[in-house]
Amino acid sequence: MIIEDEVILLQAIEKKLRNVGFETVSFTKATDALRYFEDGGEKPAAIWLDYYLEDDIDGIAFMQKLNEKEELSGIPVIVVSNSASQEKVNAMVALGVKKYLLKAENRIEDIAATLHQVLNPQYGQQQ
Amino acid sequence: MDDVHSAIAEKRRLAEAKARQEAVLAAIGEGVVVVSDKGEVMFINEQALSMLQMGSEDLIGKHLISAIEILDKDNRPVSGDAHPMHQALIRGQRFTTTELKFKRADGENFPVSITASPVFLQGALIGGVLVFRDITREKEVDRMKTEFISLASHQLRTPLSAMKWFAEMLLSGDSGELTEEQKGMINNIYISNERMIELVNSLLNISRIESGRIIIEPKPTRLEELVREVLLELQPKITEKKHKVTVSISSNLPKINIDQKLIRHVYMNLLTNAIKYTPDAGEIFVIISKNETQLVSQVADNGYGIPANQQDKIFQKFFRADNISKVETDGTGLGLYLVKAIVEASGGQIWFKSQEGKGTSFWFSLPLSGSKPKTGEVSINS
Repeated sequence: MIIEDEVILLQAIEKKLRNVGFETVSFTKATDALRYFEDGGEKPAAIWLDYYLEDDIDGIAFMQKLNEKEELSGIPVIVVSNSASQEKVNAMVALGVKKYLLKAENRIEDIAATLHQVLNPQYGQQQ
Repeated sequence: MDDVHSAIAEKRRLAEAKARQEAVLAAIGEGVVVVSDKGEVMFINEQALSMLQMGSEDLIGKHLISAIEILDKDNRPVSGDAHPMHQALIRGQRFTTTELKFKRADGENFPVSITASPVFLQGALIGGVLVFRDITREKEVDRMKTEFISLASHQLRTPLSAMKWFAEMLLSGDSGELTEEQKGMINNIYISNERMIELVNSLLNISRIESGRIIIEPKPTRLEELVREVLLELQPKITEKKHKVTVSISSNLPKINIDQKLIRHVYMNLLTNAIKYTPDAGEIFVIISKNETQLVSQVADNGYGIPANQQDKIFQKFFRADNISKVETDGTGLGLYLVKAIVEASGGQIWFKSQEGKGTSFWFSLPLSGSKPKTGEVSINS
């Protein structure tokens, strides 16, 4: 599942993740993603989450909502954001986020590999 | 009789001269306080009284240091020893600062630009004069400038990320194979975009440190470990340029309380410069030693060097020396400015020696007593 409010970035992420073998479901608002779960949408293997979403709840509020539901709280989440103050990173990690990455500092291929690694810690080590 | 007349005339002339001088002092737009060599207030002009909301009876004859309370930029009271007037009287030197605030009679405070000067008469110190003005407006403009840079930089990051990722995907064949020429062109876009990301990061770091919002979180650290980590990260570049790097660190250096992220940035910047601005197969040294009060790190190279006539500008924002801006087009001119700001915020100093065509050595010191912790909102590179 990808939650990213910048449509252009969303296109890049969808394309890359599909090319490396993921199936994707995308949202530009975290509230829409939560509604998808309420409506019985399929539980994703992992979530790629942007922290700031325009006219929407932020990453912290999203994680809190996710953690309220037992069946959803175990989904691995990686945050890919424009900024990463220590305070924000700490708060998100405390809420169970696996990785907090800066967009401009990371190649999309590396983030996709991180996602694979979060799902399967042995990923990449056999090569 | 003539003598009496001339004495009266002389007295009148002196009184007039004194009145004229006081009128001049009173008319000055800045606040003026004159103190004796003991630091007691002898004169204060209207402008100063109005800024402080005090009457001259509150101040005349009183000790300046206790009569006007001074605060630092975090609103902590400044001790008597650190008072600009005290500094000027003790050292016999002019002292200027824009980092302090005065407390008004109503308890409110305002930022001031202060110049405290000792006054000498025939070589003997007879007192001092403190000139100040309210710089609330300047500080506000400065804050707005910093905030603007921060906001603009964050806004720039989204399109920069989009360009980065799409260029990267084109290069890795996510939408089919490219011809070699196409790859070359897209790669140029990618590299230029990376430079822009770097520039935005530097601007953000500078706005963080200039605004005082940066966190300083000292932890006991072995500088050697920090240097080795940075060198490991830079190894691909070192190998590419076939440089020889020698690390020489005195044995038994104590751990030191510093913010690891910040000091790591200092080593990273100085070493990146040494690698970049030294022709292939150069020599780079990292030396860390201890003196009575400090740990001193030296990063030396036998590279291009800094032209003598530009050495005084090397820590200025956006400055790049002529000789290297042609050899290495990549570079923002912000690195050393930031490094100096970090070292000083960590309680140290930075200096260098350089000779064009021979090489450059940078030294920076960190106090053995450690950096002072500072609460803030942001850290570097975030």
